[in-house]
Amino acid sequence: MSYYHKSVKPLLLRFASMTLAIVLLTVLALASMIGTVLLQNQEQADYLAQFGPVWYWVFRGLGMFDMYHAWWFIGLLGFLMLSLSFCLWHNVPRMLKEMRSRKVMLADRAWKRMPHTHEWMFVNETVERVQEKVQGITSWQWRIQKEEGKTHLRGDKGSYHKLGYILVHSAMLVILIGGWMSVQFGFRGNMAVPEGQAESKISYLKGTGVEGLEMPFDVRCNEFIINFYPNGMPKEFRSNLTIIDDGKEVLTSDIIVNEPLYYKGVRIYQASFGDGGSDISLKLLRLDGSKRIDTVKAEIYKTYTDAETGISMEFTDFKPYNVENMAAPGEPKQFQDIGPAVDFILRGPDLKAVKVRSFLNPFEVNGQNQGTLIMVSLTGDVRDFESFFLGPDLSNPKEWELFHVFGNKVAGAGEDAGKTAGIEAFKTAVNQVYGEKKPKDFQDLGLRALQGMSVLPSMPWPFIPMLDDYEQHYYTGLQLAHDPGMDVVWIGSAFLVFGLCIMLYVAHRKVWLVFEETDKGVKVRIAGMSNRNAMAFENEFNELLRELEKSLSIA
Amino acid sequence: MTVAVASPLNRIYQGRIVHSRFWVYIGLMVGAALLAIFGGNGYDEDSYLFRLLSLQGVLWCGAGAVAGVVASLFLGGRAASGLNSPSIMNTTPWLDGLTLMLVLMAIFTLLEPHGSLISYEDQSNMVSGKIVMTMNMLFLFSAVCYITYLFAPESFIGKMATLTAWGGVYAGGSSLLLRWYESYLFLDGDIGHAPVSNLYEVFILLFCITCSIYLAFERRYQAKAMGAFVMVIIAAGVFFGIWLDSIGQADIKPLVPALQSYWMKIHVPLNFIGYGSFAVACAAGMAWLVRSRLEQKGTSKLLNVFPALDQLDQLAYKSVAVGFPAFTLATILGAAWAAEAWGGYWSWDPKETWALIVWLFYGAYLHVRISHGWSGKTLAWWAVVGFFVTLFCFVGVNMYLSGLHSYGRLA
Repeated sequence: MSYYHKSVKPLLLRFASMTLAIVLLTVLALASMIGTVLLQNQEQADYLAQFGPVWYWVFRGLGMFDMYHAWWFIGLLGFLMLSLSFCLWHNVPRMLKEMRSRKVMLADRAWKRMPHTHEWMFVNETVERVQEKVQGITSWQWRIQKEEGKTHLRGDKGSYHKLGYILVHSAMLVILIGGWMSVQFGFRGNMAVPEGQAESKISYLKGTGVEGLEMPFDVRCNEFIINFYPNGMPKEFRSNLTIIDDGKEVLTSDIIVNEPLYYKGVRIYQASFGDGGSDISLKLLRLDGSKRIDTVKAEIYKTYTDAETGISMEFTDFKPYNVENMAAPGEPKQFQDIGPAVDFILRGPDLKAVKVRSFLNPFEVNGQNQGTLIMVSLTGDVRDFESFFLGPDLSNPKEWELFHVFGNKVAGAGEDAGKTAGIEAFKTAVNQVYGEKKPKDFQDLGLRALQGMSVLPSMPWPFIPMLDDYEQHYYTGLQLAHDPGMDVVWIGSAFLVFGLCIMLYVAHRKVWLVFEETDKGVKVRIAGMSNRNAMAFENEFNELLRELEKSLSIA
Repeated sequence: MTVAVASPLNRIYQGRIVHSRFWVYIGLMVGAALLAIFGGNGYDEDSYLFRLLSLQGVLWCGAGAVAGVVASLFLGGRAASGLNSPSIMNTTPWLDGLTLMLVLMAIFTLLEPHGSLISYEDQSNMVSGKIVMTMNMLFLFSAVCYITYLFAPESFIGKMATLTAWGGVYAGGSSLLLRWYESYLFLDGDIGHAPVSNLYEVFILLFCITCSIYLAFERRYQAKAMGAFVMVIIAAGVFFGIWLDSIGQADIKPLVPALQSYWMKIHVPLNFIGYGSFAVACAAGMAWLVRSRLEQKGTSKLLNVFPALDQLDQLAYKSVAVGFPAFTLATILGAAWAAEAWGGYWSWDPKETWALIVWLFYGAYLHVRISHGWSGKTLAWWAVVGFFVTLFCFVGVNMYLSGLHSYGRLA
């Protein structure tokens, strides 16, 4: 025996063996579970905090944080491919041979084991006539063989059944090859393009780091729009993009989430969005009693420092819509948009750094003005925002003035002047500020002014920052992918489904007939079997018997 | 294998009637599909649904139906056996069922309360909620009947069980269709969408698919004792559905942009054909285990009611054979959708990975069964455990793991 037959072939056969295949499938399933429990591709710092230094390095060494691309997982898939290849190499020739060569004669021993058999004696018939009748049933494929004075006939249905196995297993191989091609020759990464600007570089995660890749073209975002449902949920994210290739604008098109753009083998998907550096202007309402309002210009992602007080504001986000649930807990939800707002981190000498959300509009419930709202988060986390109602509607200069005039009048009246003096002071203040054109919500104005008297002087900041105006610029978050293996995967998938249907629904059904000329007539024996769905085959076999009996006379 | 239908119904499942009806259904579907492709400026679901109900839709579908009749005359006239094609005989009852659900849904729309009583904020007055409650009651009652049947196989209770199970399927199916209609009733019809977008809706879908797959088996293979096991699984699901409703998860909500695709209507139901079949396989596995325990104990009256071990084994395999290709196709089409919406056909998202795990699990089942010739106890357990893996893929991933499929999450 050669070396091949002694050592290599048994090894190859082991690869082709079923048991290995089942073990591989099970191990692959178990390994895949790990990655769904252990969150993949997170920040390394988070992993370190979660597992501690020892386990962090063990897991990192095993590639657990990106385990579907780790060497051992790829190795498992490679092993599966090997097993599939050898399985096909081992079985396909045998199956094809089986499909081609069908034994027409059945040994007596095999005859006895057949699940369905029957015997007839046809009088006044010849072997040729009976044989012709049988072959006239075209739903079966017939083969004939004559030997020792007997005529043997074999019928087949669904003999392509074995093709199912071959299709399914080669399909798996094709899909895995397609997947490998996608990983090897394709790319997938993200780019953020602010409105009006162009970008050509994508970035993607590789192992524990981020890598960049230059595209052969530029993508310019002309506009990014969000459309909303009537209840305030986002309905559509739409980017208008222009592809600039070699300095020329070659293509302008809209993309939405389920409709990517295709250019030069690269698909461009709408993936996310964010603030692309909106221009904003803020009013700083000084609380030093000077009634002064300073207007400052700023930009998201930049920091503004107030020279007078040394307080800095780092602008982090701007949103033109802020839909909040206005209903009390337990009541039916009532969503309301409370208008544009800017988020910033406020830092200053002798001040605790906090995150602030400042709104453009006063807070309104059912059309009733509730004054200016400002949100503060002591932790810096947006989930910890707490609402503070300042009292007056500070977006209205009249109310700012009224707050001061009222304050002066109350102070002038002295501390022990009582309630009526307060009302008098308020009335004179309103007269002074508004003149003849008194506002309609006179009562509410009073309540707001009173609230302002108690809230505003106790503010820790020397000014109130109020969003005054904005010009929004979004960035659109795009995902760009080139996938040369995708079509291969689709071809493999089609094979897979097609092959599965053949494998599971087509049974290979066989019948054997033997004709013998005797003194009394033609003796016919029939036997049949199916490799699956025995119940259905029983009906089919009986149907065949009936059909034969109908056309031939029985003794 | 013969379909045992009551005698007046037998007529409409014979010869020319069933043959032409089948081809009319095909014609209607082709007509509707052509209307979607050529009937307007590109496919837009909202306008398409209204167009389907307009004169234009009637004309397209009518032409399709006429073409179907012609096709039936042409195809059926050639061979006598052509009229009794088993695939037509097997498919038509399902299409009839769907038609009946549509008719029921149309009737239920008439019961809808005045528009002022229905709003996005308060969806409690909608008829579909009441139909779902009816479905819950029918399924629970049916479960009780099926269990009683095990102990009293001769009584009418067995017939009641089957009847109420069918009732549950039609209530569930028509309530889902009704939800589709109702989703257009508020917020200016802006959020209308197919009723397969959240956990509550797909649970109803799962009950109906599981139950109808089982009922088809019951009719074909007379395996009624298995019904108790299927119905217990469904009943457990019904309680989960009631709980979902009680915590406000039953409301119709707008679709997030990622779900606004025709793929949703293909990918989701196909997946549930897979899940539903795996549930039936699990029930067959459980019945196998119970019967084998009973056999060990000795004689029990129940043994006369239960199908033979071999038959239960076959039924489990048959369910997997229905579910596995459907699940495979659903996963592939999900990948095709992902390639359109998420930037790649496979992202190792937890849902995708668990779908792969389920696929590998049943793939191994088919391997040991077909090639190794295993059967009996191991495979019965395999089918039962497989369904729990499937359940985790379906509900567990949404509830415990994060990922791109997070819209199935409890809000």
